Amino acid sequence: MKVFDRRYEMMARDELEQLQLERLQALLARLKRNVRRYRERIGNVSAESLEDVDRLPFTTPEDLAEGFPYGMFALPLREVVRLHPALGFRGKPLVMGHTRNDLALWGRLVARQLAASGVTPNDVIQVCLGSGVYRGASGYVMGAETIEASVIAEEPFHIDSQLAMLQSYRPTMLVTTPDNARELMEAMDRRRIDPPSFHLRTVLLSRPVTPEARQAFEAGLLVSVRCNFGIEEVLDPGFCIECDQGHFHVNEDQFLVETKDGELVVTTLGREAVPLLRYRTRLACTIRREKCPCGRTGAILEPGPRLDGRLRVREAPLYECQIAEVLAQTRAAGHRFHVEVAERHVVVAIEMSSQLFRDVIWMLTDLQNEIQDEFKTRLGLDADIRLITPRGNA
Amino acid sequence: MLLQVKNLRCGYGSLEVVRGISLHVCAGEIVGLLGANGAGKTTLLKALAGLLRPWRGEILVNGRHAQGLPAWRCVSNAMALVPEGRQIFADMTVRENLLIGGYHNPYRRMDIEVVLERFPRLAERIHQLGGTLSGGEQQMLALGRALMARPKMLLLDEPSMGLAPMAAKEVFAEIVKMKDLGVTVFLVEQNAAATLGIADRAYVMETGEIILEGESLELMRNSGVKRAYLGKGYKEVWE
Repeated sequence: MKVFDRRYEMMARDELEQLQLERLQALLARLKRNVRRYRERIGNVSAESLEDVDRLPFTTPEDLAEGFPYGMFALPLREVVRLHPALGFRGKPLVMGHTRNDLALWGRLVARQLAASGVTPNDVIQVCLGSGVYRGASGYVMGAETIEASVIAEEPFHIDSQLAMLQSYRPTMLVTTPDNARELMEAMDRRRIDPPSFHLRTVLLSRPVTPEARQAFEAGLLVSVRCNFGIEEVLDPGFCIECDQGHFHVNEDQFLVETKDGELVVTTLGREAVPLLRYRTRLACTIRREKCPCGRTGAILEPGPRLDGRLRVREAPLYECQIAEVLAQTRAAGHRFHVEVAERHVVVAIEMSSQLFRDVIWMLTDLQNEIQDEFKTRLGLDADIRLITPRGNA
Repeated sequence: MLLQVKNLRCGYGSLEVVRGISLHVCAGEIVGLLGANGAGKTTLLKALAGLLRPWRGEILVNGRHAQGLPAWRCVSNAMALVPEGRQIFADMTVRENLLIGGYHNPYRRMDIEVVLERFPRLAERIHQLGGTLSGGEQQMLALGRALMARPKMLLLDEPSMGLAPMAAKEVFAEIVKMKDLGVTVFLVEQNAAATLGIADRAYVMETGEIILEGESLELMRNSGVKRAYLGKGYKEVWE
């Protein structure tokens, strides 16, 4: 497969480390000058080598939430050309700004991933990530434009229109979520559409899936499957490149990665608008620095589970405290509940109490509906509400 | 990497001018260093050329330590400095100036022909005194004098300073041509637009620190370049 940015993707280790050190020092100088929060925390600490990064302060998801909206920006808003809302710690809103350079860089980093997946200027790409839930769509569009592939800018609004697009536009690559890919396979099954009637060669999934799921997609759609791995607050997509060997290579010319007690910690080296110093991602991971047959020298990252109890329902992140907040607006406020994530919805089991209990069925159904509606309006989420008997005081 | 600098600190007396700078230059590149007056650019260059002893940090030329080496050793390390304001020998002829540039080069009498071919204007004035040349010609002479040392790398300190726009343009065109000779260029300049126009990468320096690094195209779009160049900064994000 083609390497888009040979200079940086295959940079010799000593040169890469020199580049990282230079960028880290420049980042510190900029942060001290432009962000009050960092100026106070960094003080006189300097980084004379990459090992010195240990002495620098962390940035936590809580810091980002506190700084909302523009507290972590290193540039005035007049330099920022795009704002992306994101979901931060415990469902609190975040905003990520991008300057013109940030956007160009984003496109270039995604282009690396696309090129590694075999995209050329002759390809047509369909991006179908479900608007509003997964926010990386514009990253893929910019990446495709950087490679000069043709990208279908509009997302299909329905599975049928997606099938029609796949047949009429003849895209060779589909960028989508694992959920959507599954739905697509089911829809093809129902309508008896054969995968060879499409021209798809590759499917790029928005997040890593298990090897079994990957095989199922490959067999069901007759394509090669690639996965993306990103962190919304840092960069998603564009953080890693998945190579032919299935390794996630971090774009180390732009991100300094380390682990702290098994947690992934990332420093953005080149970002202008919202640079992050040692951001604790609340994500378990292991980092390996070894030779890969693909020739890329970026560290190999193996993502693990989330450490902050974040759930995922239909590709959207969800925290338990968000559920508690929704319940607080209903009659079930203050009751204990249990959460379970099903394939397409979330199951919330609420422990009943004497003040909530009615011996008339329609009153209970009414309560269920009320809570369900509350979930739909506040979180846009399909919730299956179950009323259960208390499970003791454990 | 031809030149690698790590955490270089140096200054004059008790005044620290260069405050922990790291940078690198790969063979065949033109790398720019931008910054306003007093940012510490010339001091950094002096330390690289061996004219100033670094306080701390490492300078590696071709992977070998070179910090604290005297200037003549730096020249034999194949780094030649073209100092700020040309500094040619005004009372010597063009030919003598060139020969001095190749003082340690046993083939200097042969190389002079090569340099004169490159700068035909100097050939026309070969017996003229250096001081009688125009600013642009003096700059060409300074470049030619540096080339006489058969350098792998040229350190240029503000080559466009004090030149008429046309002459400056010619000097920049000559610098681009260095690339064809296989000579790597580290170019220190205040003229941000012209430097980014010819450089592959650049660093931006502000009060002794590097605040930005990147490819020329990226830096051209960066507001920080303008700010560093003008020496101005915003105080708060909402300003």
